[in-house]
This record gives sequence, C-alpha cells and structure tokens, in this order.
Amino acid sequence: MKKNSEIKNNKIEAAPDVMAIHHKMKRMAQLRRGLAYLVGSLISLWILIPIIFITSMALTTPDIVRSYPKSILPFIPFSLDTLRFFLGSYGIVDGIINSLIVAAITIVLSTVIAAPAGYAISRYMFRGRDVFRLSILAVRAFPVVVLSIPLAVVFLQLGIYDNVFSLALMHTALVLPTAILVLGSVFASIPFELEEAAMVFGCTPVQAFRHVVVPLVLPGIAAAAIFSFVLSWNEVFAASILTIQNRTLPAQVLATLSYSPDPYKFAGSFFMLIPAIIFIFIIRRYLFNMWGQVTK
Amino acid sequence: MTNQSKSQKRKKINWAPYLLILPSFVYLIVFFAWPMVQSLVLTVREDDVLLGVRDEPTQSSRVVGTLPRGSVLEISDQQANIISEDELDEPGLITELWFQIQGEDDTGMMVTGWAPERRFRIRETDENDRPIVATVRPVIGVDADPRTPVYSEPNESSEVIAHLEAQIPVDIIDQMTLEIWFQVSGEPAGEAVTGWVQSRYIRTFPESTEGRVDRGDTGQFTLRYIQRMFNDRFFWPAFRTTLLLMVIIIPIQFILAIIMALVIQANLKGSSIFLGIFSIALGVSDLAVGIVWYAIFTNFGYLNSILQGLGLISAPITYLSADTRQWIIIAIVLAEVWRATSLVMVIVVSGMQSISSDVLEAAEVFGATLWQRVKHVILPMLKPSLQVALILRTILALQVFSVVMAIGGGDVVTVLARETYRQYYDMRNFNMAAAYASFILILSMVTSVFYLRAVRTQEEVSG
Repeated sequence: MKKNSEIKNNKIEAAPDVMAIHHKMKRMAQLRRGLAYLVGSLISLWILIPIIFITSMALTTPDIVRSYPKSILPFIPFSLDTLRFFLGSYGIVDGIINSLIVAAITIVLSTVIAAPAGYAISRYMFRGRDVFRLSILAVRAFPVVVLSIPLAVVFLQLGIYDNVFSLALMHTALVLPTAILVLGSVFASIPFELEEAAMVFGCTPVQAFRHVVVPLVLPGIAAAAIFSFVLSWNEVFAASILTIQNRTLPAQVLATLSYSPDPYKFAGSFFMLIPAIIFIFIIRRYLFNMWGQVTK
Repeated sequence: MTNQSKSQKRKKINWAPYLLILPSFVYLIVFFAWPMVQSLVLTVREDDVLLGVRDEPTQSSRVVGTLPRGSVLEISDQQANIISEDELDEPGLITELWFQIQGEDDTGMMVTGWAPERRFRIRETDENDRPIVATVRPVIGVDADPRTPVYSEPNESSEVIAHLEAQIPVDIIDQMTLEIWFQVSGEPAGEAVTGWVQSRYIRTFPESTEGRVDRGDTGQFTLRYIQRMFNDRFFWPAFRTTLLLMVIIIPIQFILAIIMALVIQANLKGSSIFLGIFSIALGVSDLAVGIVWYAIFTNFGYLNSILQGLGLISAPITYLSADTRQWIIIAIVLAEVWRATSLVMVIVVSGMQSISSDVLEAAEVFGATLWQRVKHVILPMLKPSLQVALILRTILALQVFSVVMAIGGGDVVTVLARETYRQYYDMRNFNMAAAYASFILILSMVTSVFYLRAVRTQEEVSG
C-alpha cells in the first residue's frame, strides 16, 4: 500500500510557500501518527486488561480470589490451585471430553460438507451462485435460539436427545455457513491458471485438483477446521438446550452458574477463553480474507 | 476473470457446481430451514388436543368425530386389538395378553387359535418364564356359555373357530400384547359422538363406566401460546431490555470499530501488533466474557478494588443486585462491546482494504480533514461492509444470552433469549419456548429487511 510518506521523500525543488505547506503537512502527519499510536494503545489496554484480570484470578489460590481489595498486580501468588479446584469439580472433565468430541465431529462433518461448496462458489460461475452465497450469509446470521427448540423436540421424538452426536449435528449446521465462506475465499486465493496449467499438461480435472489445489489449500482447510472448533467450543445455548447428562463444558458451567463459587467461575472462564484466543490468533488472516470476499 | 472465461468456453449447463453445493444445501435445509418452520409451527399449534373417534376398533378405520382433550365420555364396550412392537412404550396403555394355543376343542378336534390370557390358568413355564402349558378357566356367570371361544386372529372381532371346555389342558405356542379399544360416546358441544378410541388416550375410573379424554391424537391451530407469551410477566421486560441493549451497544461498537480500523489503516510501525490485539476478542466465548465482566463488577471485584485503592470509596459498592439494574445493564453493555466489536472491526478493515488508496490520498492532498475523509470518502465506500456488519450485529444482539446470565443471573435483567431458555428449561413448555424463539426470528427478519430497504431508499434519494 502506498503512503503519503513516499511523496514526502521525493526531493522536489519547490517555491518557499510550497515548502511551507509541505512542512505543515509533515507536522500534521506526525501529529496524526502520534494520535493513532495513543488511540491504538488505549484500545489495546481496554482489550488486554480484562484478560489480565481473569488470567491472574485463574492462576492464583482460591483464597486470593475471595480476598478484597484485590491486588492489581497479576499472579501474586502464582498457583494452579484455582484451576485444579475447577477441573476437579463435578462434571468438568466429562464436559471437556464432551466438548472435544462434539468439536471433533463438527470439524469433520463441516469440512467434508463445506469444502465442495466452497470450491463451487469460488471456481464456477453458475446460475444461482449469488443467491446461494447470499443465503449462506443470511443463514450465518440466523438465531441459534430459534433452531435449538424445534431440534430439541425432534431429537426427543427420535430418541437422540442428550447426545453428543446430535449436538454435533446442530453445531455443524452452525459452523457450515462460515466454513463455506472461509473455504470459498481460500480456494479463490489459488489462481485457476494453476489448475488449468496442470490440465494442459495432461491431468484430469480431478488429478489437477488433487495434486495442485489440495496441497495449496491444506493450511486454509486447517484454518476453517480451527474456526469450526472455536465456534463449537464456545457455543452455549444449543448445548444447554440439547443436552442434560452429557453436557459440554460451557453448558456445564452455565447450568451451575447460579450456585457456583467465584474461583470456579473465574477458572472456568479462563479455561474457555484461552484455547479460543490462541486458535483465533493463529487463523485471523483467513477471517479477514473471508470478510473481504463477502463484502466485496 | 477466470470464471468468466470459463463460462464463455462452456455454453451448456455445467452440473458440477450444483453437485458440489448439494450436500451443504441439503444440510442447511434440514438443519436451518426446516427447524425454522417447525419453530413457527410449534408456536401456533397445540398438540394432542383433539381425539379422533373411529368407526371400528382399528387404526385404519374411518374417523367419525372428534372429542376435545378433557371431555367426559361414557364407555360402553371394550375390545383388544393388535399394536406394533414400538407402540408398547406409549404412556397410558391398557393392554391385554393373548395366547396362541393348541388343544382339543369341545368336539374333540385339535385346534390352533387365539384367546385372551385371562381365560387360562398357567401350569408350566419354560426357562424364560414364558408360559407353555395352561388349563382353561371356566366362564362364570348365570347365563354365560361355560366354554371359551377360540379366535382365528388375536382379535375379538375375528372369526370364532372353536370352543374350549373348561379345565382342559392346552399348549401355548405364542403370545402377543394387545391394546384395549373402548367404545365410547361423548357429547362435546352438544353433538353426540360415538365410536372406538384407544386406551392410551383415555383415563378410566374404577367401578365406573365414565371416562375422560386424557390427550388427543391430533393438533389444532391456536393463538393461546402467543397470547400467553404477551401476557407473560417476563415478556415486556425482556423485550424492552433486548431493544435497549441493542440501541446502546450497536452505535458504540460501530464507532469503536471504525476508530480501530482507522488506527490500523494509519500504517503505523506496530500496526500488525495492534491488529493482533484488536482481533483477540474475535473468537471468545460469550459465557466466558460474561464471567470476566462479572469478575470486574462483583462486590469484591476489580472495579471496587481499584476505586478503594485510589481512595475513592471506603467500602465495596454493590453493582450487581436487584436494586441496581442500571449497573447490570452497564456491565452487560461493556462486556458486549468488549466481546463483539472485533467482529465489526474485521468486517470494516477488510472493507477498507478494498478502498483504493488513491482515493484516500486524493482526499488528503486536497486538504480534507480526518472527519471529512471519514464522512465523505470512507463511510460511503464502506457501505456494503457496514450493511453486512449492521445486520449481523443486530441479529446477534437479539440473541444475547450468556453474558446476561453470567453478569446479572438472568432474573433482574432479562432478555428474550433468556426467556426462551426459561420456558424450555425451567418451565418445560416447548410451545412457549418456541413462541419466544419465533418472536426473535421474526424480529431478526424485520430488522434485516428494514436495514436493506433503508439503505436502498437512501441511495434513491441521494442518487
């Protein structure tokens, strides 16, 4: 991206009044940069401070968590007792296992179903393509709340209620729109000419796809899978509606929220936050690409 | 470009893309479109309120009338009939066991046929406790035929093929559980209805020929749930709070997101670090964030700790209680802004990247101030992105749930999604839960259409 600094660096022989304007602009640019740094730092603090708070609460002793006034300095004393207390509480380890199972099934299902669709919307110009893309975007925005209730009724009738597999079916439906859009943008970033070249050299379309496209899109598919994982890992409402005994981690925390002690809550919050933050940080580039494609 | 050249090369319809999108299309129909319709159906349909009364004691016979749930009826006769294996789990069944027996009838012939279990006294069972040998009980009664009839099928309306004398031994070859059908007559709305109904729908009373319709087998259109929802004491508070939160949160998020995007767009040295930090909240769990802000606002929380540390207060202030609704709302607003602004920011940043830098430079060279550039160049060019973000955020704001639960407990300050959860989880009323869910659905649709139209009319006015 071009910057106005490039203009400034050009050596221009100019009249004094033009030079004055030039100096003024330079000062203003500096001022603006300073302002941008200041605002950026303030927003960064706004985002980071709550995370520091919850992290220092989760990584200390339960006594410190209950103490008042709390120290603003984090991790004093550093201890894993609060986390240990949380992990030892009823239903938490089972909840984590259930969450992981649901997320794993969701990843597999959503990738298998979304990859062909993502390929189609990025590679082919077909009637109904825009309608399909738009309806995916619309579906992406749809209220989970609305879906959970009728699905719960149906799952009850079919005898698959309170089951990690049926919850995974629901989560797949939730992540599918985003997965299609992310994978679509991933396929779109690989020039079709590569595939064409492979076909010119005698590959069938399938071979061209396998040997040229697949190796290039694997990181993108991994990113979509991570995104599916995070969505499923975070999802509370449907998980609470669709399970009773086989709760996922967030559903378990929510169900016991009203009577659980603070150390349990804070450690639970920390435990839910960290994987999501790390994973989303890894794949953030793909999300920007996806939204760039969508809003074009 | 490649797409275009490709479509020009092939004039005939290429089915490949349709096949590729088929799985996701089907999946989305099954798990999105269908549940959505189902939610609306659950809202306006009352299940099992009407009981069909049949001509004959079989499920295939004609329905001659209906009796509403709760109506009183007179039982005049009963008969057992076959039901399928999986119907045996139905609640409220009155059943009768029938045996397929083999024995000598009153004329000395060997017969094989069916008769009810109450006609026999079991004499021998196999290792699985299944009866294999029995003797016939005498029929007691003044004028009664002392013999036991044997039927060709496990059903009293089938042909009687033989009669058994009392006390003779028979072999039991097979057994089958039958459900009782009652012949009933009732007078709902002054009109007499007479026919057969299955026992599962009827409550009978001992020593009485009177019965009552316990549940029906067909549903009926009703506005009862919608009326109940509007009269629910939580409905209006939930609706008001949801709208209030939406109206406060969304403008803050958009302003903050645009500021974040401008910071990133300023091409600072550390702008990738800023971008990384700004997108931290992109994938965080709303429940977890609710708890984070609970940790700040709770009595012994960080806010009180800081205020006391600065000497501004001497004792902790209670923020999250029934008397301090406004503080709960403030905490929810902060949590939602903290959590969901990054999504708007991502959409805005990706939208800005598609704005040509020449346009921005031109505006700057001609001396436009930052505010002028934002108002006249950036915002108009970002319109598609902002529109998408606005629709997305509004719909997500209508579903706000976990943050409210974590910060306020969900009773003092309540929202529509929380009421859906309450109806489903605490009240176990699926229809009411569906009514709330459908209300959220309809609000989402109305606001989306409203935004889309508002943007279009604006274009028409200005264009």
